[in-house]
Amino acid sequence: MQWNFQEIHQYAQAEAQSIDSAQALEAFRLKYLGKKGLVADVFASLPTAQAVDKAAIGKGANDLRNFVEKLIAEKLGSLSAVKTAGEKVDVSLPGTGDAIGHTHLLTQTMQEIIAVFEQMGFVTIETPEIETEFHNFTGLNIPIDHPSRDAFDTFYLDAEDPSARGRRLLLRSHTSPGQVRIMKEHQPPMAVIVPGRVYRPDAVDASHSFMFHQVEGLLVDEKVQFSELKGLLTEFCRRFFGPKVIMRFRPHFFPFTEPSAEVDINAEILGIQRKKWLEILGCGMVNPKVFEGVGYPKNKYKGFAFGMGVERMAMLKYGINDIRLFYENDVRFLKQF
Amino acid sequence: MKLSLNWLKDYIDPELSTDELIERLTMAGLEIEAVETVDGDTVLEIEITPNRPDCLNTLGLAREIGAITGKAVKNPIVKNHKTSVLKNFVTIENKKDCSRYLATLIRHVAIKDAPKEIKQHLNSLGINVINNAVDITNFVLMETGQPLHAFDYDKLVGGKIVVRRAREGESLVTLDGIERKLNPSILVIADVEKPVAIAGIMGGKATEITAGTKNILLESAHFEMGIIRRACRSLGLRSDSSYRFERNVNFEGVLTGANRATDLLLELTGGQLSGRAEVAVKSKNRAAKVKVKVADIESLLGVAVTPVKAKAWLARLGFKVTASGGVLTVTPPLRRADIQQDVDVIEEIARMIGFDHLPSKMPTIKAINIAVDKRPREIKDKVRKVLSAAGVDEIITHNMISTKMLVKSNMADLKAIRIYNPLNQDQELMRPSMLPSMLQAAVTNINRGQKDLRFFEIGKRYFLDGEKETVGILLTGRRSQDWRFSKKDTVDIFDLKGIVERIFISIGVSPAYESNSFAVLDPGCATSIKLNGIYLGSLGKVDGKILSNWGIKNQDIYFAGIHLDEIYPLPGMTLKYQSISEFPTITRDVSLAVKKEILYQKIEEICQQQGGDILKSVKFIEQYLGDKIQAGHKGLVFSCQYQSNSRTLREDEVSTVHERILQSLTKDLGAILR
Repeated sequence: MQWNFQEIHQYAQAEAQSIDSAQALEAFRLKYLGKKGLVADVFASLPTAQAVDKAAIGKGANDLRNFVEKLIAEKLGSLSAVKTAGEKVDVSLPGTGDAIGHTHLLTQTMQEIIAVFEQMGFVTIETPEIETEFHNFTGLNIPIDHPSRDAFDTFYLDAEDPSARGRRLLLRSHTSPGQVRIMKEHQPPMAVIVPGRVYRPDAVDASHSFMFHQVEGLLVDEKVQFSELKGLLTEFCRRFFGPKVIMRFRPHFFPFTEPSAEVDINAEILGIQRKKWLEILGCGMVNPKVFEGVGYPKNKYKGFAFGMGVERMAMLKYGINDIRLFYENDVRFLKQF
Repeated sequence: MKLSLNWLKDYIDPELSTDELIERLTMAGLEIEAVETVDGDTVLEIEITPNRPDCLNTLGLAREIGAITGKAVKNPIVKNHKTSVLKNFVTIENKKDCSRYLATLIRHVAIKDAPKEIKQHLNSLGINVINNAVDITNFVLMETGQPLHAFDYDKLVGGKIVVRRAREGESLVTLDGIERKLNPSILVIADVEKPVAIAGIMGGKATEITAGTKNILLESAHFEMGIIRRACRSLGLRSDSSYRFERNVNFEGVLTGANRATDLLLELTGGQLSGRAEVAVKSKNRAAKVKVKVADIESLLGVAVTPVKAKAWLARLGFKVTASGGVLTVTPPLRRADIQQDVDVIEEIARMIGFDHLPSKMPTIKAINIAVDKRPREIKDKVRKVLSAAGVDEIITHNMISTKMLVKSNMADLKAIRIYNPLNQDQELMRPSMLPSMLQAAVTNINRGQKDLRFFEIGKRYFLDGEKETVGILLTGRRSQDWRFSKKDTVDIFDLKGIVERIFISIGVSPAYESNSFAVLDPGCATSIKLNGIYLGSLGKVDGKILSNWGIKNQDIYFAGIHLDEIYPLPGMTLKYQSISEFPTITRDVSLAVKKEILYQKIEEICQQQGGDILKSVKFIEQYLGDKIQAGHKGLVFSCQYQSNSRTLREDEVSTVHERILQSLTKDLGAILR
């Protein structure tokens, strides 16, 4: 049988032009490409064809198939374009779905601080908020009736300390009692951080709260130097505040460290103008009296400790000027971070 | 401590600009907190740490500046007055309270204004100028750090001094005109009859120096720091004197201060020295020697220091040092009672070098030998993740609450730990529940017009047997902010239960939810969360009465409390791959009516019992509570999914099982198929 491929092509093209629906297009496809379609017929004629014609018929069938497929593809494109045009939506309307919940800025800041120290090899341990005088004061070389207690004014509880008759339990005024607890339970080497809530009976104002958060750090080993404390905290500040941070170590006094220092950072990089230097943390080399108090052998260990206020770090980093915003929980504050 | 730069020049010229001086003092540990100008004088407000009472006076600061700058300090010349000893003049009841008391009697004084220079110096420090005698005591206090007091001698009954505890019922009108009730915990200076001063804190009005005073008794003493501190606290009274006694004054300064003041009194009041009495304990004047290994300086600071250098730095601070065999023997001056151990000396060396000049390097952090239980942290992270995905915002509330908040929340029965010294009644209890403080946060927002709230807090509840970590979840207002849905569609218990269920799925625990009654929840809409009898928490609709107590109107609040401490010890699920069946699932929908009190949970249980191993799951579809159903009934629609892991199920075997389920539901629960 002879096939006039040119004529078939022209016919198919004309036919395709008049297609105006998906159904008509499907009928068109079946007519040419279906199991009983024209292309199949052409292939079916091959066995009975003259040997000289076989190559031309084979090529013609393939070409026809490709040609029809092309026509269908084109038609499909123009048909669907017509369809969407009919159901145009106002895509400028806002997308939907509810926002994910916000993690409280203090949690985020705490997690950020913890992450920096954990990346350096510290482990995180939480210790209780309800404490004894021994852990909060005595074990930290803060004697009763000593002016150094002034800095750690304390809430006492209406509950007796089971380990010291006649003495009250208290709410820890800093995270440092965590040092005493951890050293009483474990032997060096150790590198731990103790995050948590602390309490001091301060009247509430823009920069004071009777409850706030601290992160304490402690590293103890046989050989530990002040230069390493400097190195560690410098690296911490770079990671937390950014590589441009400028800091200084200023001598200070804490009963539980000797030497003791406070760390200031330069206010300019945070865009703060009212002061040149901002105090961010206290630190020092663990006082041998603290090691003695937890029962470590004399002169065997050295260590350093540091503590920082989480609220303060967050306030400096994010430009928050009132500490009360953290606990008021106005959603307009919460959803900013 | 205030430092007048004009006054400072009487003892040292630091040859530094004010800015440089501030920088140097700050970097030596004397932080400048404020700078002010008073009548042309520059005054620095310096934070003096409690270990440095020796810096609580102008001369002490001059010495410190001398040590920092290497410049010499000019000490005022003080005569050692020789005079007759007044016998049986001073009695100290207990020398533990007062280790030294020195009384100097000066007669025939003329009380008038002090000279201009003294008045200017005091004015710079904000101290009121009174008269020459009183101004001299204040001047010497601010110069040397020794608190002094001048009595009108003729008003001391019996002309004698007794240092004793106050007696029960005694009182004293102090110089500020206020009557102070005294008690035996307070140390007083008395004449033979009554208290005339509160030791170390403030003198009495009756014996003060007035224009008519003829004879002065000058007190210079050393009181025990603890007793002064406690008295200040109990009286709520502090003074420049007590501030120094609380921080300990130098035992030696008692004499120096008395002599300096005597000099000035004689010169400026025209009085005559008439006699002196002293009572003191012995052996207070030996400075402790501290031994420091030179090698330890390097091992602590990370920088090598030669004995010669160390000696030079310490000498500037007035420390005597001898070096031998790599060990420094250091004798600090008597005023430096803070120097007790080698590390104290090493800190002084570090301060002289400057902390910023010490090297800096990263520490080697060894493999840690503390094993930490990771489960609590993992669980909290997962809880946060689920809650965040559910659009719940984290809040942090005060965990100190008022009794009123507990009562408003119908929790008056809960035993809360009481704070012994609360700031005020709003914060007198440690919360035994998360609900009150979370309701407070909700009210704050609702009052500001923010009514659609999804809050959670991970915090603690406090009991005498410990601190319990807890998650509180609070939902109220619109279910979704999606504009395609109705604004009237508000959250209900299923929104909350869904979140709680997802939390437990994420931590691999499958608890049971049983309706239960709680003091704070609506009894018709509350469930406990339990696992094998362990109570893990509860959830439900907050009782309407509680909401009206809190002033919350026109909106329901749903609340869940999950007790994390109970969950931490539970074994988590170990995840193992379950093969996915390649055979088709056959689904049969069931629609039935049951009595309202029958729980859907019961229906699911029957399906599971009767479903054999081909029932894969039961899926709840909907609940119908309308009037197209017989009274007292509810309509339930659910589907049963049948599937095998090993073959394609035949229609007839599914039908047999499904029929068995339906029969059981009708027979055992009285269900009516619809």
